[in-house]
Amino acid sequence: MDYISNFLFMRSEVSLLAVMVFLLLFDLIAGKKGMKYFQPIALIAFAAHTIWTFVPYEAGVSFGGMYDYKPVMTIVKGILNIATLIVFMQAKEVFDTERQGNKRGEFYFLTMVTLLGMYFMISSGHFLMLFIGLEMASIPLATIVAMEKFSKKSAEAGAKYILLAAFSSGVMLFGISYLYGTVGTLYFTDMPNLISANPLQIMAFVFFVAGLFFKVSLVPFHLWAADVYEGAPTNVTAYLSVVSKGSAVFVLMLLLYKVFGNLIVQWQGILFAVIVLSITVGNLFALRQDNIKRFLAFSSISQAGYLALGIISGTAFGMTTMIYYIFVYVFSNLAAFGVISSIENKTGKVNISDYKGLYSTNPKLSFIMMLAMFSLGGIPIFAGFFSKFFIFAAALEKGFYVLVLIAVINTIISLYYYLLVVKAMFIDSSDNPIPTIQTDNYNRVSLFICTAGIILIGLFGVIMDKIELYSFGM
Amino acid sequence: MAEQIIFYILALVIAVFSIMAVTSKKVIRSATYLLFVLLATAGLFLMLNYYYLFAVQVTVYAGGVMILFIMAIFLTHKPGDEFKTKMNWKVKSSAILSVLGLLLSGYIVVANVTRIINYVSGKEMKMQELGVTMMGTEKYQFLLPFEAMSVLLLACIIGAIMIARKEKNNVESNNDLDK
Repeated sequence: MDYISNFLFMRSEVSLLAVMVFLLLFDLIAGKKGMKYFQPIALIAFAAHTIWTFVPYEAGVSFGGMYDYKPVMTIVKGILNIATLIVFMQAKEVFDTERQGNKRGEFYFLTMVTLLGMYFMISSGHFLMLFIGLEMASIPLATIVAMEKFSKKSAEAGAKYILLAAFSSGVMLFGISYLYGTVGTLYFTDMPNLISANPLQIMAFVFFVAGLFFKVSLVPFHLWAADVYEGAPTNVTAYLSVVSKGSAVFVLMLLLYKVFGNLIVQWQGILFAVIVLSITVGNLFALRQDNIKRFLAFSSISQAGYLALGIISGTAFGMTTMIYYIFVYVFSNLAAFGVISSIENKTGKVNISDYKGLYSTNPKLSFIMMLAMFSLGGIPIFAGFFSKFFIFAAALEKGFYVLVLIAVINTIISLYYYLLVVKAMFIDSSDNPIPTIQTDNYNRVSLFICTAGIILIGLFGVIMDKIELYSFGM
Repeated sequence: MAEQIIFYILALVIAVFSIMAVTSKKVIRSATYLLFVLLATAGLFLMLNYYYLFAVQVTVYAGGVMILFIMAIFLTHKPGDEFKTKMNWKVKSSAILSVLGLLLSGYIVVANVTRIINYVSGKEMKMQELGVTMMGTEKYQFLLPFEAMSVLLLACIIGAIMIARKEKNNVESNNDLDK
C-alpha cells in the first residue's frame, strides 16, 4: 500500500475529517450573513457523511496494522453517526439564540473531533492508537461540557470531567505499560497468544479496564456521571450518555474478545461484580432524583450495566445483542433528551415535579416522553423490550442465571421510576403546568425519527439479522 | 555497578520529589518539585542511551512546560497562598485504601519481576531511524498516531480558546453566576 491509499482506506475517518475542515473554513470565511446558514449546512454535510459511509466494505488493515477495519465497525460507526446527527438537530435551537450563537462553529467542530476519536478507538489495532482515540474523545468533550462557562454548574462539570478523565487515562496507561512489559508488543493481533494470565498481566489488565469502565461510567467509576450530566448543556449530556457511552462499550467488548481472550475467567468475574453493582446502584439512586438530567444520568448508569451484560457471555450472539441494544438505546434516550431540551430551552425547567400536568398543555411532547420511558424500561412491543430480551437471552445461553435474575429484578425497579415520570406528566395535576411550547422543525424531525425508531426497530427483525451477519465475521 | 548506583539515586529523587510535589502546601513549590522529577526522568533516558528523548525531556518538559505551569499559576492563583486540604473520614479511609492497593500492586510487581522482558539493546538510537519510524506506514512505524495527534492538538486549541475568550454579553451571564 502506498502513502495515499493507506489514508483512503480509513473511509469514515477521512470523510468526517473532510466535513470538519469544510465547516471550519466555512465558519472562518462566512460573515454574519453566511453564518445564518451555518447550521443547516452543517447538518446537511453531516447527514451526507452519515449516508455515504454507511456501506460496509472489505475487512483489512492499513498503516501496518495500526488501523484495523472490520465490516461490523461500519455498523457501529453508523449508529454513532445517526445519534450525533440527532443531537445536532436537537442542538440547533440552542445555537440560534443570542447567548450561545457565537459558539456554534466550535460546538460542531469539537463534537465531531470527539466522534473522530471514537472512530479511531473503534478501529484501532494498536494500544497507542486506542489511547490517542480515547484522549481525542474526552479532552474536547470536557470543553463543550464547560461551554456555558458563566454557569457555575457547567464550569464545575467541565473541571470534574477533565480531571477525572486525566486520572483514569493515567491509570489506564499504567496498565498498558505493564502489559507492554510482559508481552513486548502493543499490536492487538500479536498480543493474545502472549497473554498467559500471570499475576502481573492480570494486574495490568485490571488497571487498563478501569480506564475504560470510567468512560462507560460503570459503578465503582461512576461518580463523575451525575454531576457532569447535570451541569453540562442538555444536548452535550445527550451526546455523553449515548454516543460516548456506546462507543466505549463497543471498544471494551472488542478488546475483551480480541486481545484478552485468554483472561476470560478473570474478566467475566470482574464484569459480574461490576454489572450487579451498576444496575443496582444506578437504579437505587435514580429512584430519589428530582432533576431529570440527574435522573437520566443514574438511569444511564444502570443501562450501561445492561450493555455490559451483553459482553459477559463472550459469544458472537452477545456481541450482536449488545450492538442492537446500543442502537435501541440511542433512540430511546435521545427521544427523552429531545423533549427535555425543548422544554428547557423555552422555560428553563428541568425538574420532574415541573412536568406535572404536561399532558394537558403539551400532549405530543408528553406522548414522546412516555414512549421513551416505556422503551428505556423495557415494556413489550417497544424496541427497548426486545433489546433487553436479547441481552438476557445471550447471558442465559452461557449460564449466568443468577446475574440475569438480578438484572430482571432490577428491571422491575427501573419500571417504577420510569413510570414516575409518566405519572407526573399524565396523572398528576398542577396549578401552573408548563405552558404550551413550540419547538423548531429540526427538533420535531429528530423527535419523529426517535419515535419511529422506538416503535419500529423492535418489529423489524431484519435489523438484528443484518447486525448478526456482520458480527459473526469477527 | 556505577550505573546501578546512579539509577538508585535518580529513582530516589523521582520518588521523593513526586511525593513532595503533591503534598506541598504552596502551589509554586509543587511546580518546582515537579521540575526535579522531570529532570531526573531525563537522567533515566540518558542512562538508556535515548539521547533524543533526553533532549526532548529537558527542553520541552523541564523547559517549556514548566514555564507554562508557572505562568499559569501566577495568572490564576495567588502563588504565595497556602493551600488548605481538609482531613475528614472520607480522605482518611481513601488514603488507607490507596495504601493497601499500593502494597498489593507493589507485591505483585516485585514477586513477578522476572516476567518483565528486557528490551534495552544498549546501542544508541539514531535520529534518522527515529524519523523513519515516525513517518512510515509499515508495521512498527507510527505515521497514523502522529497525524491523529495533530487533530487532537487542534481541537484542544479551539476548545481552549472557546473557554477562555471574552463574551460580549457578560453582564447578563454574570448574574447567572450569583444564583
